[in-house]
Amino acid sequence: MFYVRYLLAEVRRRRGRTALTAVGLAVGVGLVVIVGALSKGLDDAQAEVLEPLTGVGTDLSVNRPLIVRNDDAAGGGLSDPFSQLSDDEQRQLERENENHDAAFNYSDLGEPGQPFSRVSLLSTQLSFPDSEVAKLRDLDGTQDAVGSLTLRALRVEGVVPDSGQVASPHGPGGGFEFSDLTLSGVDVRKPGLAMVTPDQIAEGRYFSETPEQARGEAVVDLAYARQNGTNVGDRTELAGQGEEFKVVGLASAPLGGVASQAYVELGRLQELSDRQGRVNGIQVRADSADAVAGLAETIERQLVGAEVVTAADLADRVGGSLEDAENLSSTLGTALAVVALAAASLIAALLTLSSVHKRTRELGTLKALGWRQRLVVRQVTGEALVQGALGGLLGAALGVAGATIIDAIGPTLEASVQAQPNTGFGTFGQGSIAAGSTDVVLGAPVVPGLFLLATGLALVGGLFAGAVGGLRAARLRPAEALRSAE
Amino acid sequence: MTDDVESTETQTMSTTPDANPTYELVDVTRSYGDGATLVLALDALDLAIERGEFVAVFGPSGSGKTTLLQLLGALDRPTGGSVRFEGHALERLGDAALAELRLRAMGFVFQQFNLIPTLSAVENVEAALAPLAMSRTQRTESALAQLEAVGLGPRAHHLPTQLSGGEQQRVAIARALAGSPRVVLADEPTGNLDTDNGEMVMELLARLHTDLEITLVLVTHDEWIAERADRVLRLADGRLLNDAASAVAEKAAR
Repeated sequence: MFYVRYLLAEVRRRRGRTALTAVGLAVGVGLVVIVGALSKGLDDAQAEVLEPLTGVGTDLSVNRPLIVRNDDAAGGGLSDPFSQLSDDEQRQLERENENHDAAFNYSDLGEPGQPFSRVSLLSTQLSFPDSEVAKLRDLDGTQDAVGSLTLRALRVEGVVPDSGQVASPHGPGGGFEFSDLTLSGVDVRKPGLAMVTPDQIAEGRYFSETPEQARGEAVVDLAYARQNGTNVGDRTELAGQGEEFKVVGLASAPLGGVASQAYVELGRLQELSDRQGRVNGIQVRADSADAVAGLAETIERQLVGAEVVTAADLADRVGGSLEDAENLSSTLGTALAVVALAAASLIAALLTLSSVHKRTRELGTLKALGWRQRLVVRQVTGEALVQGALGGLLGAALGVAGATIIDAIGPTLEASVQAQPNTGFGTFGQGSIAAGSTDVVLGAPVVPGLFLLATGLALVGGLFAGAVGGLRAARLRPAEALRSAE
Repeated sequence: MTDDVESTETQTMSTTPDANPTYELVDVTRSYGDGATLVLALDALDLAIERGEFVAVFGPSGSGKTTLLQLLGALDRPTGGSVRFEGHALERLGDAALAELRLRAMGFVFQQFNLIPTLSAVENVEAALAPLAMSRTQRTESALAQLEAVGLGPRAHHLPTQLSGGEQQRVAIARALAGSPRVVLADEPTGNLDTDNGEMVMELLARLHTDLEITLVLVTHDEWIAERADRVLRLADGRLLNDAASAVAEKAAR
């Protein structure tokens, strides 16, 4: 076909114009592809972060936050609601509230001058009696509920001070070393709803099936294990009192939901901490997503001082650079891509129009040679189409290259879960994660649909400009077109 | 004008020569603009050109000679009057029918050559054959033959920028002849050439006129070019001042 040869000659020999138009379109298409890929990457990253929250099967988490004494507050102490509880229960809670910090008694440590190592198991939350778990399990809308006990294992090491010496653990000359560990007791009979689930095991295995078998077993958080050189098979004294646990598995900690550093069997921890029959977290699975809100209200009403966190609450609290980037990509990114593509299409259209305008005399010559109007329009449109296609291909290459580079660099974004207002503790059943955060690596998977759309738009832009310009030139009487200056 | 009208007229119009004179112009007017800015490029022109004539249209700039040539070439339409080509009133034909006429019956040579810069010499000639139904080989062979005829066979694959002005104009002449036209309309074909090249182009046109029995209408403001024609139409201010055999032709006749 002569037309094709002519078209290719135009595209090939007017290199500057072809390159300019194609590059303009390519930048637009490339930006759309990159922004699309980034946006998809951010969605994936967010899904990855949120998956553990929604994936553990826990819909609601119930706990009873510690009440930190505030001297300025009128009244102080436990607030009124707790007066509904029995005297025993009130005393129990009061003791937990008093003892939640690092206070301990030096006289228990041993003879002055002797080295000592002592682990105190401290409350992170006020507790409930076991029976509350059963009550929640019986509520309408509850599918299952399971209790957990999360404690802070504070290890103090040093030399017993001389009697009479003022021992200030934090002061100079105290000579004490502190290390801290968040330890949770989990009900191994219900692994799916437990604070650490079999899904999270990255190395080794989950707890044995029965509490008896699981008594001496521990699952350690992967990050904590790495930090402390703990491996599967190690024996470690987690809760003090010379009691060693065998590390059977390492669990990767998802954001928010489960962030204790070690897990042991619930009953064993209750014994070691002298909290028989007490739990301080209840994980609840609802019958359906619709039941969650109602259930949360019922539980807060029924359980004095309880605070209920739903998985959705937690997901809402995911923040940090991931959230910022996600917001950026969904607003600015899309706008940027649209603007870039619009600008590129406009530039391509203007370049095409200007080039057609400059070629008015050439097109007039074609008409003088006996070319009909539609042949002329077809020619110009065909050229614009080829340029659009070139731009689209180049843009795709640019976009894929850009996305690949982002993938290769793999920028790390931080996702964080903020503490709940008004409490220093208590996020999804945990005492230890006032503000949890996790890093996710950002990928940029190319979205084929978006790529096609961008290329299509570039083509349509070029086609439209070519057709309009061609028609305008071709409609001129040949005499007028021939008069036009080159 | 709609396609329907065009196609009907195309069908009814013969593109083969007949007994009519090649051109008959009756009271042809062409004006540009209106009101105060009205310019009368051609003013009530009457004219006939017979088959096989070599006519020079001579006059100063702005005399209307290019306008006349464009009306003859169906590149433009008169504001008033009638331009008849082989008996067909061009002003009554649609755009498509006029394109068909230009394709099959007319050839153009321009002062600026008007070659397509991205196409080689042979491709430029082929451009005049592109709308015709013929195979690529046929078309290329035909175009090459035309280039041979103007002595540019060896330069067939050069781009216009690689050719001299004289060579470019010869490519344009080959292109004008590609469709075997009955009329060649040349607008100042030597205007952009030096004397030697101008002379060469004029000889070529004169020879083709004689050999191919083509009706040749040539616009010029050069006296010596006009004198090569059989007949000289002298225009001034859109009017025909003088229509006479050229001095050369008169001498030859005596």
